[in-house]
Amino acid sequence: MTDISTVDAGPLLPAQGSGRPSYQIEIEHLTKRYGRRAVVDDLTFTVQPGRVTGFLGPNGSGKSTTMKILLGLASATEGKATIGGQFYRDLRDPAGTVGVLIEQDSFHPGRSGRDHLQILSDVAGVGAARVSEILSLVGLKGDDARRHVGTYSLGMRQRLSLAAALLCDPPVLVLDEPGNGLDPQGVRTLRNLLRARAANGDTVLVSSHALAEAEHLVDDLVVIDQGRLVTTGSMHDLRQAASLVRTTSPTQLRDILETAGAVATLQGTDSLIVSGLPIDEIGERAFAAGIVVHELSTHAGSLEDLFLAWTGGRVTDEALSGGDEVMHL
Amino acid sequence: MMWRRLIRAEIRKLTTTRMPWGFFAVLVAIGGINAALVMFATEADGSKAFIATAEDQQSLVAFAANAFIIAGLFGTIAVASEYGHGTVVPMFLASPRRHQAMLAQFTAVFVGGGVLSAIGAGLLIATVAAALPTTEYGFLMSAGDVTRVVAGSTITGALGAVFGAGVGAMLRSTGGAAVATILILVVAPPLIAQAATGTGDWMPGTIANVLVGVGDDVSLLAAIAALFAWASVPAALGLFSVQRRDVV
Repeated sequence: MTDISTVDAGPLLPAQGSGRPSYQIEIEHLTKRYGRRAVVDDLTFTVQPGRVTGFLGPNGSGKSTTMKILLGLASATEGKATIGGQFYRDLRDPAGTVGVLIEQDSFHPGRSGRDHLQILSDVAGVGAARVSEILSLVGLKGDDARRHVGTYSLGMRQRLSLAAALLCDPPVLVLDEPGNGLDPQGVRTLRNLLRARAANGDTVLVSSHALAEAEHLVDDLVVIDQGRLVTTGSMHDLRQAASLVRTTSPTQLRDILETAGAVATLQGTDSLIVSGLPIDEIGERAFAAGIVVHELSTHAGSLEDLFLAWTGGRVTDEALSGGDEVMHL
Repeated sequence: MMWRRLIRAEIRKLTTTRMPWGFFAVLVAIGGINAALVMFATEADGSKAFIATAEDQQSLVAFAANAFIIAGLFGTIAVASEYGHGTVVPMFLASPRRHQAMLAQFTAVFVGGGVLSAIGAGLLIATVAAALPTTEYGFLMSAGDVTRVVAGSTITGALGAVFGAGVGAMLRSTGGAAVATILILVVAPPLIAQAATGTGDWMPGTIANVLVGVGDDVSLLAAIAALFAWASVPAALGLFSVQRRDVV
């Protein structure tokens, strides 16, 4: 059986041409409440064209809700989410502008993969030839395409979802956990595909709780926790944004730095990873408190370290292990 | 152009699962039951008076009341299952102006319900006609009677499917919506007719019979208008609720 891992990403790349528009995604003071509970809380960030932006957060942190509001599937309590300055519902050609993978299982189990795509192509005005082409490119051709989706493996369903997202060759991709169910080679192909699309000027927003996957994929990061923005910026800058402090009084220093607004995580028995405070200020505050510091340096930690620091260590084992991305097809 | 695309997609949805075949099987079963009735059933006096005249035969094949219920369930399941299977998500992504998507869906089930009911009426007439030679009576219905039954059933079924689609859009749970459709169309009408004098003439079964020419409780135009109203109310409520609701 052919699968996405054996497929060259090249044919899945966007159409080249000067006429291809670019879109910026803007989330402005977005809030979503269910009753009194805010699942998204005053969230503001932008996603630039030409970049792969990772949208990270623990499970239940509000990533999917934010994406659903962006795509008009849910309403915002306050604030707004736009694509190229327009609400999704106001886009002239939504299906041709934004490729979406948002629900892992939005298929009728008794309908074939080909028919599922054909229905989408009917609405989008895409020809049957493109359906055959995209099915073939994601490795769902022949009997696989004719089989009922109810008989598909998780990986095949994910490939069908990706085929749907890429059907109209859109300049914007909004993908919720796109690596789920793909084998390691499939994940690599997907990564190459998304990076190539971004290099072509497309806008790519990818949510993930699989940090290993995100670390190799994204240019920019948006991290949320409990619906609130934790940090945003380029991956390179954020990696440099933390400081390592080796001290004789890590607990005492942590309390002092957290009072000053930093996020500080104990590492071992004598070290702290500190973010949210300039390195000079960390030294000054330690000095003012009379705390002995043996080392104070820039900490270019792994995404996992940073993520743990940003989210206060509230992260699932699944996220640290890369989730179920390594499931074989 | 967009409308045509949406309707084409919705019709493809209806024709690419086994659901229509399930309903077709029900229609075949109903036809078979009627044929068996013609062949084996008798009145208390042992006669077959219930097929003795053209009017009797027309009453036997008057499929419209059943068409409203069966097509109602067809529309209910077609729409509510969109939520159950999550296929409403790609639908609203492709057509974020939800009223357009829903109106296309109503149009598709209108066509589907009409076709299903026309087939049902045709099957019923064909099976009864096929069974009649086993009795002492021939097929007595005129071409006009046959046309009236098929046309009346088609219109009733089309509107019944829209009724069901509206219920499905409101309730979203396939099982719950199907039960609600049965309660509204089968259980509630006799209770309402008993509780409120004069309302019986406006229940779906009664007005459906007017459409196929076996009832005269109200005029034909009034019957069509009443059936349209029966379909429109849940459809409008469904349309309204879909506009406001988050798809989560």
